[in-house]
Amino acid sequence: MNNTKSDRAGYLFILPWLLGLVIFTLGPMIFSLILSFSKWDVITGVESIQYVGLDNFKAIFHDPLFYQSLKVTFIFALVSVPLFQVASILIAVLLNMRSRGMKFFRLIYFMPSVIPAVATSMMWVMIFNPEYGILNEALGWFGIQGPAWLQDPNYALGALIVMGLWGIGNTIIIYLSGLQGVPEDLYEAGELDGAGIFRRFFSITLPMITPTIFFNLIMGIIGGFQYFTQAFVMTNGGPLNSTLFYNLYLYNKAFIEFDMGYASALSWILFIIILLFTLLVIRSSSFWVYYQGDDRD
Amino acid sequence: MQTSLRKFNLSQWLALLILIAGSAIVLVPLLWTVSTSLKTPAEVFGDSFFPQKWIWSNYSDAVRAIPFFLFLRNTLIILVPVMIGTVFTGALCAYGFARFNFRGKQTLFLILLATMMLPSQVTLIPTFLLFKQVGLTNSFLPLILPAFFGGLGGGAFNIFLIRQFMRGIPRELDESAFVDGANRWQIFIRIMAPLSKAPLIAVSIFTFMGVWNDFQGPLIYLNSNEKYTLALGLSMFKGMYNVEWNMLMAATILIMLPALILFFIAQKYFIEGISISSAVKG
Repeated sequence: MNNTKSDRAGYLFILPWLLGLVIFTLGPMIFSLILSFSKWDVITGVESIQYVGLDNFKAIFHDPLFYQSLKVTFIFALVSVPLFQVASILIAVLLNMRSRGMKFFRLIYFMPSVIPAVATSMMWVMIFNPEYGILNEALGWFGIQGPAWLQDPNYALGALIVMGLWGIGNTIIIYLSGLQGVPEDLYEAGELDGAGIFRRFFSITLPMITPTIFFNLIMGIIGGFQYFTQAFVMTNGGPLNSTLFYNLYLYNKAFIEFDMGYASALSWILFIIILLFTLLVIRSSSFWVYYQGDDRD
Repeated sequence: MQTSLRKFNLSQWLALLILIAGSAIVLVPLLWTVSTSLKTPAEVFGDSFFPQKWIWSNYSDAVRAIPFFLFLRNTLIILVPVMIGTVFTGALCAYGFARFNFRGKQTLFLILLATMMLPSQVTLIPTFLLFKQVGLTNSFLPLILPAFFGGLGGGAFNIFLIRQFMRGIPRELDESAFVDGANRWQIFIRIMAPLSKAPLIAVSIFTFMGVWNDFQGPLIYLNSNEKYTLALGLSMFKGMYNVEWNMLMAATILIMLPALILFFIAQKYFIEGISISSAVKG
């Protein structure tokens, strides 16, 4: 079975993916790179694509809305990523307890992650409604006058973070599978040495799940840059651009203003930012990520 | 190793309390949405959590006001071929990577993994322009065709998932079939694909969820109302004069239901899939 002739048949089997790679990934990437250095209104034909050098990038770096969208995206990532991690780890540690009913809780916590983003958004538009939404009513029981949430530029982004917290089931499950990989004897040894619950958590659990934390950190940052549906449906970037996420701004430039060159340049900046962050987290990981079986000390 | 209730100590009670409180936070918004979907318009603005009388006709009104079945039909027109294309070509490519030793395989496989990291925004605009040039915008084809090239978004995750599983199938099985005179295609169809049922089901489920939830794709490619999918259609009816909140919530529930039902039937695939994806990318 190892003759080269039959092995070449492998190309035939991966042909769909290879074609797809060329047509839907590599080709578009090259085209997009060309576009980012060009000016083109889509209405006229391909022949009217005009090379403009770095003009798009220069314009972007003078564009206040570009900075606004970066700010929104980074604030969202900087607040939500740590918040979601802490909450997810807490719930995952609790769900990892050996007792009855954990399976049931696991289902409940995971449920929001399977609901379509549009449905979740519609639901929360209702929940955040200042007059008849349940959130402000619940706050009212404690004597708190809730804000106008999605209609208030100071609270709209916060509202989206609160909503995101509702859907952390995904992250919880990832932590749970990380926790289940922690060897039981470590805890037993810790218990014998007289380590209490908190000591065991900080000295055993936390170091053991740093690879998972690391993964979630990268995904969280990338997620902030991919954030779209909720912002589009619930606030469409408003009020006063307070929820103008990067991806939403990119969409507006490409598909509302049809400024494809500008939008392509934006997409490459996004790519580079994501790449930089991913590399940064990977580089720094050797300082704080503990991989089991590592000799490093 | 089950802990019975009387052995519960203080910290375990506390843990249980937190878990219950958390579950309430998850469930109350959902229950409130269901209850809103059964209220009268006047009650929607009122204070009561539950409706006085459950108005089930909100649902039949909603599916009429929002052309629900038309949107459902559109969603299915996209969904069915995408699922077929993704599962079929995903399995083909996975077999190619799992069982053949062709030149450049390692490099190609690395490229496959790398495409998982590529943000979709980079290819979004040129792909749209490509479909626009060939006159396929405002049709379902841009949302369907990529599925026949390994799967949507390059299909890297699907191919990886199936390939990992196929590598675990004993080689003796396909080798003995080969000795019996079966060719590669027959081995794929009769042995490898049927034995890979588990990852193929997982991929089908993820694909279903992906299409059912997809919003940006339909938003970009479908311009006319009668082409809308459910996800896109629902959002477009937000705040329209003839659609009340109770009806909108009824439609929201209707869109959630298939996803939730699928989740409850096939939870183990969801949970395994999430764990695998973190293992792959992490």
